[in-house]
Amino acid sequence: MKTIPIAVLTSALAFVACTKSNRTLIQNAGSDTMLEVAQALAETYGKEVSGVSIAVKGGGSQVGISGIIDGTIDLANSSRKLKPEEVEAARKKNHEPVEHHVGYDGIAIYVHKENPITSLTIEQLKQIYMDNGKLTKWSQLGVTVTAGMSDEIILISRQSNSGTYEYFRESVLGDKKTNFRLGTRDMNGSKDVVDLVTKTRSAIGYSGLAYANAEVKLIPVAKKDGEKAILPTIDSVLDKSYPIARPLFMYTVGQPKPAVQQYLDWIKSDAGQRVLVANHYPPLRKL
Amino acid sequence: MTENSPFTTTAHERRSLSQENRFRLLFLFMAVVLVLPVLGILSVLVLRGSPGISLDFLLEDPRNGMKEGGIYPALIGTLWLTSCALAVALPLGVSAAIYLTEYARDNWFTRLINLAIINLAGVPSIVHALFGVGAFVHFLQFGHSILAASCTLAVMTLPVVIIATRESLQAVPRAFRDACWSLGATRWQTIWRVVLPNSGSGILTGIILVVSRTVGETAPIMFTGAAFYMQYTPESIFDQTMALSLHLYNVSTQVNDVPKHLPFSVALTLIGVVLTMNAAAIFLRMKLRGRKKW
Repeated sequence: MKTIPIAVLTSALAFVACTKSNRTLIQNAGSDTMLEVAQALAETYGKEVSGVSIAVKGGGSQVGISGIIDGTIDLANSSRKLKPEEVEAARKKNHEPVEHHVGYDGIAIYVHKENPITSLTIEQLKQIYMDNGKLTKWSQLGVTVTAGMSDEIILISRQSNSGTYEYFRESVLGDKKTNFRLGTRDMNGSKDVVDLVTKTRSAIGYSGLAYANAEVKLIPVAKKDGEKAILPTIDSVLDKSYPIARPLFMYTVGQPKPAVQQYLDWIKSDAGQRVLVANHYPPLRKL
Repeated sequence: MTENSPFTTTAHERRSLSQENRFRLLFLFMAVVLVLPVLGILSVLVLRGSPGISLDFLLEDPRNGMKEGGIYPALIGTLWLTSCALAVALPLGVSAAIYLTEYARDNWFTRLINLAIINLAGVPSIVHALFGVGAFVHFLQFGHSILAASCTLAVMTLPVVIIATRESLQAVPRAFRDACWSLGATRWQTIWRVVLPNSGSGILTGIILVVSRTVGETAPIMFTGAAFYMQYTPESIFDQTMALSLHLYNVSTQVNDVPKHLPFSVALTLIGVVLTMNAAAIFLRMKLRGRKKW
């Protein structure tokens, strides 16, 4: 009978496929801003510790937070704090979220490298991005419009489940209720924002400091008119002189299982924090 | 040459001949236009992607923020996802097709099933993805895993399997079945010994289509079981995995400062996997077709 070897093979395969692996799997998902650093952390940790397999996923802070509320992931990356209603939703399902502060991020203001603008204030940014804000043209900011550049400011923003979007709204537009100007280009990732700025001469965008490259210009930002404008760097975020910077978090459901706790401890240790710095994220403390 | 020779072409014949030519050229042009994008895609991928392809690229783990190293975990992950999806879709799809062609009577119930299959084929893959999250990840508690991702892919490709199988079953001449029944064979014996062996090549065509679609699909696995980054290849169907299609999306849109050739190399590998799997199935199909006696 030729069906017997096939049956044996199939059941053997099924057996292999269904055995639980010996490695502990850590499911890590969430913030796009933290995606690259989460990947670098997992990669470096994997070289130092064996027996742990970390699956890293992006999607936005909201994806990680939903995962914590539903209890489907072990470790959520979030570039914003949980909202009270989210904590409530998680508690309803008996998933107490626990916050772990792992680092910082500066939100840099990006323009095309040939844009001559030298500094902006928070108030100017607000008027640029806010619904019904007064600034819509580069000439209003004292920029001479050059060839290949339109006078209209092309606004690049993020999709609304992004932690960066929420943070920018709170810290620049003033509060959670102020709306962004209609007609912003909402990109689905931190890198997409910077990519579009490299291609668009009259664009302005905000994105994580770590996503800077040689094709774009970072604009120094001043807290108020008359104050010194500060360029976003790891140091200026660390000493709190750069105004648009935020903490980065990881969330777990309840007190994490030992493998996750060890991973978190390692991230907060000097070894883990050095990975943050290598990826242009400000660490928890000066190393 | 006399005007009145019966063999010279008349004006009417010449006109229809030149019209014939015009249409032939028009359709030839259309056919060439169809081939152009394929050639364009392949040549761009080969030109820009092949410098990055090497044995090391295929067999190494990604390094340094996925900017260096290879794509081994993604390659293996795609093989896992595709074979698991096939393992679910094939038995289900072939059985359903057998029921529909060999057993079902033409009544409202059968028509309802057929309608469902056609509609299922038209559902966009992103909707399948969301269905997969609800049904497999949450409701059936598979979690984010290869199992959930393959089941989603299987549901998505089921119509293709069913339709391809049904066509090939229907292509087996009615006389074969009649002859078999008149020798006293039962319905099942007829299916197992006569109909299925004679429709293998058609079913394989279905598999080719399914494999190509499964390997390339991104949305259904992104939500259900594929990860941005994993250090290891999966060990069981409850693990998560990297996948080539998602890796291509990630290195092109999510990772900063990727070497220019990397996305092209990943895309070339992806197409290579599809072509290799297709070639194997086409080869098998040719062997099976050779056995056909009618």
